[in-house]
Amino acid sequence: MRKTNWTKLFLAMMLALVLALAACSKDSGGSKEKADGGDSNKGKTEQKGGESEEGIYSIEDFPLVTSNNAEPLEDGELTYGVVTDSPFQGTLNTALYSGAVDWETIKWFDEALLDADADFNYKEGAASFEVSDDKKTYTFKIKDNVNWQDGKPVTAEDWAYSFYVIGHKDYTGVRYDDSFRNIKGMEEYHTGKSDKISGLEVVDDKTLKMTFMDPTPSLLAGGIWPYAIPKHYLEDIPVKDLAKSEKVRKKPLGMGPYKVESIVPGESVVLTRNEDYWRGKPALAKLTVKRVDPSVVVKELEQGKVDMVDSFPTDQYPDNADMKNVEFLGNIDMAYTYIGFKLGTWDKKKGEVKPNPDCKMCDKNLRKAMWYAVDNDAVGKKFYHGLRWSANTLIDPAHKSWYAEDVEAPTYDPEKAKQLLEEAGFKDTDGDGIREDKDGKPLTITFASMSGGDTAEPIAKYYIQAWKQVGLNVELLDGKLHDINSFYERVGEEGNDDPKIDIYQGAWSTGTDVDPSGLYGRNALFNFSRYASEENDKLLEDGLSLEAFDTAYRQKVYKEWQQLMVDEVPVFPTVFRSIVVPVNKRVVNYSAEWEDKEPFLYQLGVSEKEPVK
Amino acid sequence: MNGMWKFTVRRILIMIPQVVLLSILVFIMAKMMPGDALSGLMDPNLDPATLEELREKLGLNDPWYTQYIHWIGDLFHGDMGESFRYKMPVSELIGQRMVNTFWLSLVTLILIYLISVPLGIISGRYNDSLLDQAITGYTYIGFATPLFIFALVLLWIFGFQFGWFPTGGSVTPGSTPGTLDYISSKLYHLLLPAISMALIGTVGTVQYLRNEIIDTKQKDFILTARAKGASESRVYNRHVLRNSLLPIAAFFGYEITGLISGTVFVESIYTYPGMGQLFLESITTRDYSVATALTLLFGIAAILGTLISDIILSLVDPRIRIK
Repeated sequence: MRKTNWTKLFLAMMLALVLALAACSKDSGGSKEKADGGDSNKGKTEQKGGESEEGIYSIEDFPLVTSNNAEPLEDGELTYGVVTDSPFQGTLNTALYSGAVDWETIKWFDEALLDADADFNYKEGAASFEVSDDKKTYTFKIKDNVNWQDGKPVTAEDWAYSFYVIGHKDYTGVRYDDSFRNIKGMEEYHTGKSDKISGLEVVDDKTLKMTFMDPTPSLLAGGIWPYAIPKHYLEDIPVKDLAKSEKVRKKPLGMGPYKVESIVPGESVVLTRNEDYWRGKPALAKLTVKRVDPSVVVKELEQGKVDMVDSFPTDQYPDNADMKNVEFLGNIDMAYTYIGFKLGTWDKKKGEVKPNPDCKMCDKNLRKAMWYAVDNDAVGKKFYHGLRWSANTLIDPAHKSWYAEDVEAPTYDPEKAKQLLEEAGFKDTDGDGIREDKDGKPLTITFASMSGGDTAEPIAKYYIQAWKQVGLNVELLDGKLHDINSFYERVGEEGNDDPKIDIYQGAWSTGTDVDPSGLYGRNALFNFSRYASEENDKLLEDGLSLEAFDTAYRQKVYKEWQQLMVDEVPVFPTVFRSIVVPVNKRVVNYSAEWEDKEPFLYQLGVSEKEPVK
Repeated sequence: MNGMWKFTVRRILIMIPQVVLLSILVFIMAKMMPGDALSGLMDPNLDPATLEELREKLGLNDPWYTQYIHWIGDLFHGDMGESFRYKMPVSELIGQRMVNTFWLSLVTLILIYLISVPLGIISGRYNDSLLDQAITGYTYIGFATPLFIFALVLLWIFGFQFGWFPTGGSVTPGSTPGTLDYISSKLYHLLLPAISMALIGTVGTVQYLRNEIIDTKQKDFILTARAKGASESRVYNRHVLRNSLLPIAAFFGYEITGLISGTVFVESIYTYPGMGQLFLESITTRDYSVATALTLLFGIAAILGTLISDIILSLVDPRIRIK
């Protein structure tokens, strides 16, 4: 029953139905593992995203922190909009939530025990830590003044309990992964052989010791689960019933600056000040989190019905850059868009990629020529008004220490593309303006791309045109764009790669940890291009080795890796992305910075009683 | 009355295979959609092995008929499964949303009849007058206007420009259930969506009623009534209306079916968490258990709607009753 015409017809019907409905925005909903949000940078830049003459913006001109310097009101109230086209799922627990949407509620009433620095590495927060010399053992000490909102202290037991929940065999969430398996004794607990995790030792009330089998620098970059859950509150509920329990869905308990007062399922949450918050007294008396549909974000902001939103569609920015009552903050997004070349398939048995040496896209120069042939700079300017810009490597600039700005990557040069193709033997033998392959046979490259948003189609068309100009015949898969589900299924998210696809355009929102092996490693299912080489294996391994705890060494490794990817071109990045964060002008102390530093979320306040309209 | 019962029972019996067939179709089609409940979650921070383990746990890797039998089996025990996305029992989730949709539909229905009956009567009674032309004009425009555009326009004008109505949600955040404030806030929130649905939804009924009245007006028994010297208002109230309203009453069941499709659009536009909205979402996120349960419910509602229509019809019009 898999791929009959029926499927297609049905899909077409469903799509028509979905498309007919208000322009649903498919925001990639990047998973932000780390407590993001709260922080700032005192250095101020100008008021608004600087606009050059042609209506092109640059993310560097956006301020990171609100410029309103007034003192926050004593008992201010604020409305926070979460932009999503579907209701909140309402799984209000750090261990159990799966969508990015629930996180937007959770982050107000709960938080990580560790803060993150500019490189997304852990630093002291509600807990401090020490690392043993062999990097295998981590000892965490929770501060004395860190309490749950019911007054009970946050203990080492609570932190350990989150591991016991996530590792439990009945756990239905999505967090159990390699970083958990890495804990000593975890696998035994997960399979039910043991009811204790031997690698977790509760030394005393406030001290937790974790032992890992295979220490990598990733541990400190988000690889250690930093959230505690209130054991005394939740331990009576069997793990399999946790997600649907009232204590998670209706009366969640956290340690964050605000506590949940009331919930209207799916639509809104009202929170009030947690007087006992460990960092200090939260600035707001009341905070309302409510859902905002992507089609009405602008109106809601304009009329002050929300003070700020969690994400704003960047493509709507140029039309609204002059909104009077709102200040736009901005930052570089942890994401990139890319074009991938299919170089093999997925071997399900072995669980690794199987490169195919005879594939259509196997000629490195063909791939490189395709990179030279496209003008990503123009794509960023024309379609995104400069809020996305030409990318050179597979590590985005939000990972400041790792991004290799100086890696030399192909930029738009159609002549160079033609020359590469000529040299590689892709010549136009029958004079129709289209190149044939090396054996003189017609060459048609099939391109899979996702639908969604206004720009998906024109961009795909632009690429096809650009390739045609250097003599390559590229056609859309089935002659159309595909919705996100069918796109990823056919690209191979379950390992069933569609052999019809030669190249595809995708996007990744990257995690806090820079390690790219989950996307480009030999054993990575998400390595959709199915590229593998020994050199690649080696570099990825080096990046996770003990030596790589030394940042300089790790930087060197990842720089080499970025160069290798540019030379080998299994995929090439097209554009980097940015986020813009609109906040009402009465909002003070809010920052679009990724790092946890002043101003923290609890300092967020308002300087006037009513939103500026 | 005996015949009535027989008729009803027979109709209900026919319903059973209809529902079974519907459930199979729904299930197969849901499974044919590319991707599954986990594909939307894909991101580099999640381990594919974890997802695979989950797929296995959730039975997503079984062949469709195994899954179907499981599903049907549970259904008979009153268990509609668990929503993957919401991580709660489907029955509870739908229950939560159904309340909203129920009130929305009820208010819409009341509005529809409040608007369409007088309009239909005026238009039928004074047919071809300027007033009638205006009303028919409205119905034509209504026919031609897609609900999702119309609803968006109303939201824009009355929600945002004038600010007379709330622009989303089903209730003001933080209000306590059960209080008067809560109830009036709920009503306030559903008024605009209901009006937009009603203004489009009346169209059919108005036209139907108008045609019926014009039709009846020319019947012999009306001529007789007039010939007997009955006053014009008596002719209309006692003779024309009574006969013309019958088919409208019968139309009621179909109206319910129409409302279901309406709520799908309107709830999405007004971010009103109801069943229609849930349905759309469950399809895009491949939340099968929810999608199938809802399609089944909608299907049953539609079948019930026609059943109600038929029953009303047979009640009011003895000629239709089956022997």
